[in-house]
Order: sequence, then structure tokens, then C-alpha cells
Amino acid sequence: MTDLATFRSNAIAFLDSMVPKYARTARAGNTVEQDLALGREYMAARYDAGFGGINWSPDVGGQGLSNMHKIAFDAEEMERGMPVQFFGISLGMPVPILIAYCEDKDFVKERVRKALRGEEIWCQMFSEPSGGSDLAALRTRVEPDGNGWKMNGQKIWTSWAQYCDYGVIVTRSDPTVEKHKGLTYFWIDMKAKGVEVRPIKLAGGDSHVNEVFFDDVRLEDEQRLGAVGGGFGVALHTLMIERYIATDSAGFGPHLDQFVKLANETEINGKPAIEDGRIRSAIARNHAMRAGLDSITKRAFLMMQAGMQPGPEGSLQKLVAVRSRQKLSELAMDLKGNDSFAFDPHAYVKTDWGTSWLNAPTGRIAGGSDEVLLNTIAEKVLGLPQDHRPDKGIPFNQIPA
Amino acid sequence: MSMLYDEGQQAIATESRRVLDARMEKARLLRLLEQVGEADQPFWDTAVEQGWTALAVPEAFGGLGLGLVELGLVAQAAGAATSGAPFLTSGYGLSSALLSSANVDLQTAWLPRLAAGEVTAAIAFAEGNTILPAAPAVSFADGKLSGTKHAVVGGAKAHVALVWSSGPNGPVLALADLASVRRSAISSYDNTRLHADLIFADAPSSIVAEGDAALAMARDVLARMAVVTAHEQVGGAEALLHIAREYAVTRKAFGQPIGAFQSIKHRIAEMYGLVEIARANCIHAAASEGQPGFLIAAADARISATEAYDTNARDCMQVHGGIGVTWELGLHLHMRRARSLAAEQGNLLFWEDLLVNQLTGEAA
Repeated sequence: MTDLATFRSNAIAFLDSMVPKYARTARAGNTVEQDLALGREYMAARYDAGFGGINWSPDVGGQGLSNMHKIAFDAEEMERGMPVQFFGISLGMPVPILIAYCEDKDFVKERVRKALRGEEIWCQMFSEPSGGSDLAALRTRVEPDGNGWKMNGQKIWTSWAQYCDYGVIVTRSDPTVEKHKGLTYFWIDMKAKGVEVRPIKLAGGDSHVNEVFFDDVRLEDEQRLGAVGGGFGVALHTLMIERYIATDSAGFGPHLDQFVKLANETEINGKPAIEDGRIRSAIARNHAMRAGLDSITKRAFLMMQAGMQPGPEGSLQKLVAVRSRQKLSELAMDLKGNDSFAFDPHAYVKTDWGTSWLNAPTGRIAGGSDEVLLNTIAEKVLGLPQDHRPDKGIPFNQIPA
Repeated sequence: MSMLYDEGQQAIATESRRVLDARMEKARLLRLLEQVGEADQPFWDTAVEQGWTALAVPEAFGGLGLGLVELGLVAQAAGAATSGAPFLTSGYGLSSALLSSANVDLQTAWLPRLAAGEVTAAIAFAEGNTILPAAPAVSFADGKLSGTKHAVVGGAKAHVALVWSSGPNGPVLALADLASVRRSAISSYDNTRLHADLIFADAPSSIVAEGDAALAMARDVLARMAVVTAHEQVGGAEALLHIAREYAVTRKAFGQPIGAFQSIKHRIAEMYGLVEIARANCIHAAASEGQPGFLIAAADARISATEAYDTNARDCMQVHGGIGVTWELGLHLHMRRARSLAAEQGNLLFWEDLLVNQLTGEAA
């Protein structure tokens, strides 16, 4: 195994060589399509330099290094703003699930290589109009069709589906059993007949998520991942994979330093805003909170390095960081007063308070809403009882709609 | 210092919790609430017997030569038990001051006795709501202190006090033997903190530091004590989290445990979040003792721990409903302690200002 410090300095050398062409600053003013093209180029370069699939097994084309190596690389990459947003989900969940469940190993190897090089992108289709947090309420159904299956229904909030070649999907194969038990998991070809992708424009103005409609889409039984009726387990496995991701105590919004800078440059009632008690209190509280999250991350990292299992407190990161980013962004806009009205829908969320504010609700909902995260902490970490669940223990098709 | 506890440190955490669980008695603490100027003697005897008073004193002075990490872990256990004596924290404050003073006579005179628990200390910096007044009313001249420090924590029983005072050439940190100093115990909402006015009238005192050095030392002493206190607050906040959780899984209403209602379970999940953020800050602060970022780390720990303990005291009572506000259940022991600790070693306002000053490089 490569020594972590050496690995990190190699990674930095590689990333720095990529900065002039691919970093965020180099891409200012680009369209999404231009960024995607650059992103594909960067992914190929990253793969060729030996930084693709860092913590994946060499058997499938990975580098066979530890999760620590991946986190170290991701942190350096995030700092430089590389155009990797299109590939995060693809490599984060669907492709690892394909590796884990697909029996055609040659097919897997080919897909892994192309996904790592950015030539192919995978999406994950879980949420539906009738169920986001309540995943097992999904209604997209499959029926046996000769030696395969026929799929009808609709998914929603599918990130980057408009650019995807493949996807993984959970479907209902048996509505007559309990909701969790009648699900089956597949990979699908996003270009197949009967698949239609319609982008959804979000509040902030961009359209990275989609609705995906299925009209008599034909699936071969070889596309099934896991057992018939075993889809919920595979779905949970999918959600568990990405535990080793880079976190951001700024909630993927601007760093607190930028708020301090703003407060230094702005006046309230003729005095520097940094001298205003309300502003000082906000800075201090946010600093203490973010420092706590950073220490949780640092300790988790040290524990993993020492071969220990990090504690469950890592589950606080997104919950605490994103909602505080939302309020701090509001306060920053208040500080700017009339200067805060000018809005650039393409501004970067980590440097622009308006963009950070307008996109914060997405952050508080996607990947588990605040409320679902609180439920998870209460139930899984603290052992509090489950909510009242009238859908339990009865067949899916008898749950009151 | 690593942010991961080693085996010895884990043993200190487990052992101090075990001892205090066995010896702390709610009935005794409730009785003490109504007695002015009375210390929780069984706790102090335990602290001395277990060597907690010696933890952070160097071996050369009869101590164990450990540091803030270990003392913090003991403070956490003490906080969970709402143990009634402020002297672990203030003794550490005084020994840190003496150690950084390089005054060998004072070190030799006091450190071994502090380590042995024969002597207890009070830290008398604040006046009114000002933690480190620019011009303290208590004055120092010709080796004598005069003036009154109001409501000094530990003042009712301490043997010596480290006093922030005005000298002829700027501030003086003076060490006063309290044997002949008049004191007036205050009836407070948390009486085992032993709040008392210390009335100095030409009280013989020694200079520990003067001028800019005194200010730097006072701030360092406050930061170190704030980190110990933050651990104590985390211990209390975590205890309240557990108490709330236990109640929520046993108490039933409307045909189910109240912990099944989201208004309750989310409140308790938030309590958990506050505890873990404060704990992580405490671990970081203790591990960065003596390093450049220590003051910032101490402020982060102090701010998040104060928020955690105050909030959890409020919310734990709220989760309990009526039973939570009874004298007998004793949740108010935590509520009282959360407030008294919040005001000791500088309130939130002080630490928020100090932190922002540090972040912006302003002079405090």
C-alpha cells in the first residue's frame, strides 16, 4: 500500500497540473455541456494517472488502496474545483453496486473502465413522486415478460439522468406482499426504447435533476441485481456504500472566512459590521459549530487510520452544516443590503452567498431531509422507538393511499 | 497530543465515572442546595483519594505529570454526576499560573499542597459582569491587596486565591492566602459552587505576574479552566441526553412510548448533536494545549459546551413534563449547574468576543 503522505503529494502534483485547464476558475462562463466535455477529459486523465477507483479492487480495475487514500484525494480535488460533479453519483453508488451484484464479470469490467474514464455515466433511480423519504412506497412496477421483465412507471429527482448511459433502479415486482418485500433491483440502459428523461428546473435555476418515465421498457433477467423480492436489501446496500466521502463543515456553501471578510468590509450604522454584536455572535457560534464538525471528521479519519470504526456522530455532518449554511447565507445577504439583489444563477455555491442561500433547501432535502436524518439518529443511534407506522405488516396493495 | 484517547486515558474516564456513580447521592446534593457555603465533602475526599488533584501537576512537585486531556476526562465524569466542588478546575487554574510564572518559591510553596489536595484555590478575576476588567477595583500595592471581589466561585472555602488586581504599573496577578481574609458566603441557586465575596483589607499577597505578562497569563489560565469546564458541561449535557432518552422509551402517553413522537425524538436527537459537537471541540482543545491555536480551540469548546448544557437542561425537563420540575427528581441540579458553569470562567458573550478577536487578529 502506498504511504498516505507520498500518495497525497503525488495527488497534489497531478491535480495542480490539471488546474490550468480544468479548475473552476478556468471554466468560468462555461455551459453545462462544455463543463461535461471538460469533465470527461479530466476523468480520463485522472484514470490514466492512476487516480481512478482509488479504493476499488484491482480485480475490477481499481487501485486497491484504502478509503483514507480516497478521502485524501477527494479533499484535494474538491479544493481545486475539478469538474467531477457529473460523475460523483455514478461512481459513488450505481457502479459499485454493479460490481457487487452483476454476475457477468467481463461486462462489469468494461463498464467500470468506461465509467472511471468518464466515457459512460450511471444514475441511481430510487425516488418517485409517491415516495422520496419513504423509499419502499415506490410504484414503478415490473411484470414477467417471457424470460425477462417489462417495466412501467416513473422516477424523479434523478441526478444527471439526461447525460446518463446506464442506471440502477428499484422496482415493485409483487404488490401483494409487504412493501419492503415486493421489490426487485435492476440495472438498465438509459437509451433503451420506452425510457424518457425530462429535466426539472430547480428553484436556483439549474436542471441537474430529472423525471424519468418508463413505458413498456424491456429488461432481460440478466439485468436483475440480487434476488427477485430482494430489492430493498440491495437498495440499502447502495445507500451504505458511500460512507467514506469528503465532508464539508461549511455545508457545501461559503467558508466562514468569507463571512468574516464581508463583515470586515461592511458597515452597520457607520461602524464596521465586525464590531456589531449580532454579527460577532453569529461568527462565533458558527465557528464553534463548524470546528466541532471538523474535529469529528478529523477524529473519524484518525480512527479509520488506526483500524477502528468511527462513531455514529459523523451522521451529524450534513444535518448541522447545511441548515446553518442556510441561515448564515441569509445573514450575509442582510449585511450586503441592496448589493445582495444582483444574482448570477451560474455563480459558484461556495463563493456566492445568494447562490448558497437559494440552493440551500435542496441540500437540506436531498440525500435525506433534516427530518429523516433526525429520525435516523433518534432510532439508530439512540434507540428511540420508530414512528407510528400504519403501513407495517400489511400487503402493499392494501396500504391506505 | 493525539485526538484519540490512549488506553490510560480511557481507563481514567471509565474509572472516574465508576467511582462517582458509586458515591454520588442525589439526596445529599439536594440537601446541599439549601445550605449556604457548604461543600460536597465526600466528592472532594474522593477527588483527593483518587489523585485527581494531582493529575496535572508535574511529578517534580508531587503530581502525576499528566495534563488537560486527563483532567478533562475526570471533569466530564464530575459533570455527569453534578458533583459539588469547584476546586478541581480552580486548582488547575492556579497550578498552571504558578508553572508559567517561573517563580520557584511560589511553585515549591503551593504546588505540592495543591497536588495533595491539602489546599484549595479560588480564581478571583471577574468583577460584576466583566471577566477581566481593564481597571480592576481590587488594588495591589506594597505586597497587599485591598478591595472586594464579589461572588467568587469557591470563595467560601478556598485557602488561597489568584486575584486579578490593579497595581502601580498595570495589572497584577496576585496570590493571596485567604486565612485572614474576610469572606461573606452568598446564598446562590447552586450553593455547592461556594460563591462568596472576598473582602481584602491590606491582605498580604505575592506577585505571580505583572503588566502585559499578567494579562497574557490571566487569559491563558481562563482558557485552560474553560476547557476543563467545557468537559464538565459536556458530561452534564450527555447525562441529560441519557436521562431524556431513558424517560422517552419508558414513559407512555396516547398508547405508545413518548419517544415515538417526533416532537420528542427529534428534540432528543438534537440534544445528541449538541453533545457530540461540544465533545469533539473539547477533545480538540485539550489536545492542542500549549499550541498556537489553543485560545481559539478553547473558545470553540466553551461556546459549544455552554450551548449544549443549557439547551439539554431546558429540553430534558421539557421532555419529562410535570415530573421534570419536581424537587425530588433533581433535574434542576443539572439546570442550576448548567447556568453556574455557563457564568464561571467567562460567559458566552466573553468567549464569543474573544473568539472573534482571535479570528480577526484584533487586540482584545
